[in-house]
Order: sequence, then C-alpha cells, then structure tokens
Amino acid sequence: MSLASTASLKDQPSMLARLFARQELALLVCLILVLAFFSVTVENFLSVRNLTNVLGQASLPLIAGIGCAVVFISGEVDISIGSLLATIALPLIIIMNDSNSLLLGVGGALLFGLIIGVVNGYLTAYAGINSLIVTLGTMFIMRGGVYLYTGQRAIPDDASLDSFIALSDGRLFNVIPYSAVIAIVLLAAFAYMMQHRPFGRQIYAVGGNQEVARLAGYDVRRVKFICFIISALLATVAGIILAARVGSAQHTAGLNFEFQVVAATVLGGVSLAGGIGSLSGMALGVLILQFLSNGLRGLGLPTEWQLVITGMIIIAAVAFDEAKRRRANGG
Amino acid sequence: MSVDFLHPGEGAAIDRDVPALELRGIDKRFPGVVALDNVDFTLEGGKIHALMGENGAGKSTLIKIMAGVYGKDAGTIRMRGREVDIKSPRDSLKEGIKVVFQEIALISEFTVAENIFLEGYPTGKGGSIDWKKIRADSAALFNRIGFNVDPAARTGSLPVSQQQMVEIARALAHEARVVVMDEPTSSLTPNEVSLLFTVIRRLAALGIAVVYVSHKLDEVFEIADTVTVLRDGRHISTRPIGEHTNDTLIQDMIGRRIDNLFPRKRGAPGSKVALFVEKLSTAKKLNDVSFEARAGEVLGFFGLMGAGRTELAKAIVGYDPIASGTITVDGSRLVPHDTRTGVGLGIGLLTEDRKSEGLMGELPVYQNASLASLGAFARMGFVDKAREHRAVQDYVDRFRIKTPSLFQQVKNLSGGNQQKVLIARWLMRGLKVIVVDEPTRGIDVGAKSEIFALIDRLAGEGLAVVMMTSEMPELLGLADRIAVMCEGRLTAIMSRDEATQENILNAAIG
Repeated sequence: MSLASTASLKDQPSMLARLFARQELALLVCLILVLAFFSVTVENFLSVRNLTNVLGQASLPLIAGIGCAVVFISGEVDISIGSLLATIALPLIIIMNDSNSLLLGVGGALLFGLIIGVVNGYLTAYAGINSLIVTLGTMFIMRGGVYLYTGQRAIPDDASLDSFIALSDGRLFNVIPYSAVIAIVLLAAFAYMMQHRPFGRQIYAVGGNQEVARLAGYDVRRVKFICFIISALLATVAGIILAARVGSAQHTAGLNFEFQVVAATVLGGVSLAGGIGSLSGMALGVLILQFLSNGLRGLGLPTEWQLVITGMIIIAAVAFDEAKRRRANGG
Repeated sequence: MSVDFLHPGEGAAIDRDVPALELRGIDKRFPGVVALDNVDFTLEGGKIHALMGENGAGKSTLIKIMAGVYGKDAGTIRMRGREVDIKSPRDSLKEGIKVVFQEIALISEFTVAENIFLEGYPTGKGGSIDWKKIRADSAALFNRIGFNVDPAARTGSLPVSQQQMVEIARALAHEARVVVMDEPTSSLTPNEVSLLFTVIRRLAALGIAVVYVSHKLDEVFEIADTVTVLRDGRHISTRPIGEHTNDTLIQDMIGRRIDNLFPRKRGAPGSKVALFVEKLSTAKKLNDVSFEARAGEVLGFFGLMGAGRTELAKAIVGYDPIASGTITVDGSRLVPHDTRTGVGLGIGLLTEDRKSEGLMGELPVYQNASLASLGAFARMGFVDKAREHRAVQDYVDRFRIKTPSLFQQVKNLSGGNQQKVLIARWLMRGLKVIVVDEPTRGIDVGAKSEIFALIDRLAGEGLAVVMMTSEMPELLGLADRIAVMCEGRLTAIMSRDEATQENILNAAIG
C-alpha cells in the first residue's frame, strides 16, 4: 500500500517529463511552426477554404497511412498500396457502370482489396517471404495489370451516381470534406484499437519482439496476416475516394502514392523496425507534409523544390529521432 | 483446479496420487546432437523440484519442450493424468505451465505493468483493455512478493535484475499449475533471492508444482524437495534432497570426469605485460576499468549477468567504441580504436556468440580458419591456396579438429570443433593476447575439457589469455588470477590462491 503511493508520488515529475518527450508533441510543435510560417508568408493560407482543402487532400494518405503504420508497427512493410489504389478503381467503376449501384461497386472493390491483403499477408506471414519483396511484387503485378486492362486510356465513370460524386466534392455542413470525415473516423477507431484493444497491443508486441510475443502465446503469423488485410482494405477505401475525384479508372492513378505515405509515416515517428510509433504521430506526419507542400506551392515554388525539401525533412526527422533514442538507451 | 497467486481464494485440493505434470520417454534431436534421450520427469503439485545438470546436459531443452518452444521427437506429456499435445507456447500456457526464462523475454518498449499481463490482458465491458486493473494488479503483485519495481516504468530502461523480477512476477499474474524457473537468481541480490524463495514456498503451499533450475548447490539444498539430475541429455537420478550430499550431487552431474576436467600443463606466467588497460570507460556500461594481463597468464573475469564482461571483451579488442581510457597491447597503444588496429597489434576476440559474430557457417573450415591471416598467404594480391591449405591442415592436426575435410561447411561441425576452428583463426594470425568470452557456452561436457586443455596450451605458448566466464568451476580451474566485475566496474582482482567461491561472489554482488 505504502509502496504503491510513494511510487506514484515519485512518478509525478517523470510523468510530465515523459509527456514532453513524446514524439507527438515534437511533431505538433513542427506542425504549428509550419502553419505559422506560411500564415505570414502566404496570402489566404489560414482561410477556412484553404485549410479544409488541404484536409481533403490529406485524407487519402491519412486513410492509407493507418494501414501503412499498422503494418510497420507489426515489423513488416507494405508498398503495394499505391498500385492497389489504382487497381481497385477497375472493379469499382466497372461494377457501378453495370449495376448503377454504389453499394455493389464498393462491395466489389473491398472484396478485391481483401484478396490482395490475403495474398500479401499469406506470402509474408505464412510462406515466410520478406514483405518488402512480396509487396514490391504485387505492386508491379497490379500496376502492370491496370495498364494491360485499360490500355493506357481511362475507363470513365458512366453511372455518375450522386452518392459517388459526393465522395469527391461533398462537405459535411458545407465545410469539412466527406473524405476528411471518413479519414478522421477511421483514424479515431484504429487509434483506439491500437492503444486499448488486446489485438492492437498484440501488434505492438509482435513488432517489438517476435520471439517474446510467441512465448506469451500469441499467434505471430496470424497477427501479421491480419495487419496486411487491414492495410489493403484501408488502401481500398482511399482508392474509392480517389476514383470518385478523378471520375474514372486509369493506369496512372496513385503513382508514387506509397512513397508519399511511407514518408509521412516515418516522419510521424513510426519505426520500420517495428513496435514503435503511433497513429497520431503518423497523422501529424501526413499533415506536416501536406501543409508544407500546400504552402510551398502558395509561395510559388515549383514541385521539384517541394520534392527536394520533403526528402531533406524526412532524413533530418529520422536522424533526430535516432539520436534521441540512442541517448535514451545509452543513459 | 488451478491456482491464482493473486487471488488464492479457493485453494486447490492437491491430489497426491496423480502427478501435476508427467513427461515420459522424451527424445529430442538437433542436427548432430542428441539433446534429450528417453528422459522421464515427473512433477507433483505442492512440491519444489530442482532440475540440475551442467551446461549442455539438456535442462534448457527439457524446459523448452514443456513451454512449447520446441516440439518433442518422441515421448508423452500428461497433465494430471490426461495426455496433452503441446505444440506451441500458447498450448503450454493454456495448460497452466508458466516458465520464467533465463534470457529476459519482455517487450522493452512496454511498461512493466503491460509486460506482466502480456499473456492475457484483463478486459472490461466490450473487450477493451482495463488499464486501471492492469496497473493496480501489477502493483499489488509486486507488493505481495516484496519486489520493489515501478509498474509504470518502461521495461527496457530498467536494470537486468529488475527485469528478472518482472519476469518472475509475470509467471504469477495468471492461473498456474506448474511454474518453471530457469536460473531465476542469476542477477538477484541475496536479499532478493530470499524474497523469491518465500514466493516459491508460497506457490508450493498453494498446490502449484515448481521446477527450480539452477547449478547453485546451496540454493538447491535450501529450497528443493526433490532433485532430478540430467547429464549429456540423459536422466541420471531423481531423489529426495535429503538423500543427497554436495558430493553425490556433483558426482551425478559430472560423472567420472571430475578429476581430469582441468589438466594444467603450463608453467608459471611470465613477467612481461602483454595487455595494459587503464581507466577504460564506455558510454553504456564500463566505468573506470584498469588491469594488466601478462604473457603466459590466464586472467579470468567473473561477473553476474549484466556485469559488463562481454562489453569489456568487445571494448578491449577494438570492436565496440570506448568513451575514455587507454588500451596498450604489447607496448603499443590501440589507436585508432578498431579491430583492424587490434589485430595488427596482436589482440583478438573469441566471441561468445559463435554463430553471428564468429563463424561464417556456410563457408568451409579452411576459409573460416584463414580469414584473419589471408595477407600472410598472399602472393601479389592473390591467395596462395596451397600454402593456405597446408597451414590450416597443420592446425586441424595439432588441435585434433574433427572434420571430414578442410572443405566441410563449418556449420556442420560440433560446437567444440567450431570453437577450435576459431582459435586456429587467431593463432594463425600470431596473436599476443586472446580474449575469450564464455569459451564453453553450448559445448558438450566431453569437448569442454579439450577446450580447457587448448586454453592451457595457449597460455603455455606465451599468449596472454583474458577469459570472460560465468562458470565458477571454469574460472577456478583455469585462471592464474581472477578479476570480478559488477555493474561495469572492476570490484576485485585476486590470485587463484586467495580466491574462494564466497569472496568471488561477494565481489560480484558489489
């Protein structure tokens, strides 16, 4: 009894210190600095219109980033999400054109995404092939498949269902894009899962130390398998929103999207080594990169420079993180 | 009925007639080694059963079969008379078998409290984790045991001894029928050991069968009801502790080899200082370590787990960076601090981790042996294969390395012969100081005495041998002088004649 109370008293300052040492806080400060800088240098940067626009653009990497972070935390990688984004537009658009039903189209797309998740997950978790290789393979296969099927021309959305178009330009209360609402809801749900559901903690444990997780009675392969399915399904959701925006299925959709997501996830402090990082960190990483890109465009800087600056920021962020971790473990 | 240490309300009625766990005729083979040969092991509820044997006797393998880490090749396992099929750790945990492993098996990024409930999180309504209960129960658990560990601490930031306490607490957090403790006291202080023994006796009183694995005789005589001894993978004896004396137990453990395990042929060490280490510190562990090793001398370093022996070994050969201090090999400073300079000056490391830091398993014996001295066999930048093979063959003959040919992949050799290949690698290079880290880890008892003879011979040929070991007999049998470490500091250096198990252990505890 006395032991417990003295321990908690002793903890007070360190709890505060721990809060400030949190990754998320540093990222939040970064985000505020970015916002502050551009609010001064770029006209109308802080307008509701611009902010909600960026939020809408951020929704795709946010949704896919959840899956990317979950797979990273389990100790694996999934780089097939960009190709998946383009590929699921095919079943979606074709089924909708055929049936005039958004529900059937979305169902078909999710089924397709599920299959890809099962393939990625099975080959990695059960067949034991390195996940970078597996998802690099499925990335090429899907991209090639879309090229083969569409033959370089887009397959337009002929059904033009109102509910589908609303996904691209509809706004809740005429302010927040629906895509951003979907992203926020999914983010909240998965963040809760990762911190407060046994399965979420199992993912952290598996990524943190696979052997320890196995000794604690976890089915390591099953956990990883499910992570790949989560990733594919979330990329599918992002792909549906993208298809609504471009109004067609086309072979260039989502090109390099996976690297945009990986970059934001890593910037958000999610370690490729597994077991470390959070979804809120990933989300802050996405927002920093999106506002940065929006602001630089506002300054009239060409896209080429945005790429260069983004690259430098990612390396600097991860180097900073690594130095901090080394100090923490060394002390 | 199983029993929960935290909530021992309805104590289990112990049925003395049916064993809590019964293993019969267990066989386990690994490539080239019979790890267990027809072993029987029977546990009664409410009894503390010590499992003893030398390294390589098969204790760990037997425990890992109970824990579901390894499958058995033959034999049956019964829980309270019912045959069970244990294929994974999950199956074993479900049967109520809780193992405290010697190697720390915790997620270092998690808090202590979360690690304690890793095996099954308490959940509230709707299946979400009840973090409040996790924190409260783990605090209560530590309170009940008497260990002083902060449940909110990040596990990886704790010293090894506290992590070991977390491991022990974890085995008690869930209902258990059998609790296995594998060398649980290796980094605990005497006070913590007595707390642990109180806990173990309480577990037994609750009707739980306890397996206590140790090679510390005094501990076993203090705590155990029954002792089973394994040797070379075979069951040697199971007797009540009252029927044993120190001598009978040792005899069961090492058989007839007791007299000739440490054949000393070399003379007294010379007076020339081959290695001089002054005020050595590293960022992580070592703190102001100074000592010297003379040519022809075996200087043994002892310490408990986490004392810093391996860190010292890696630092003095130039493998790991140092923060301050100097290392002088045969009169020359080890600057710059890297292994290339180290080997050039004549200091090399025989690593404790042969697989990942020593051998290239897929490559043949001769390439593994000649790796450090290719320059000596080179002519105009090309390796003279004939000279290389002759030189390696010479060592294979001298050390009696058992291999079908020079071209055998080294992974197919036994542990003892792999170790000889590594020693050959360094001798071929012409070393003055050899640092050996746990030279007999994972080596059969028979091959051990050959390694000891080889180390004796190296010193006899004028090398300074710095030997890191956690095995007391090895230390007392081989070393001329004994240095003891604790928490990265050097706490004592004594001659072989002054050294006793007691004063060594006292220095190791700090």
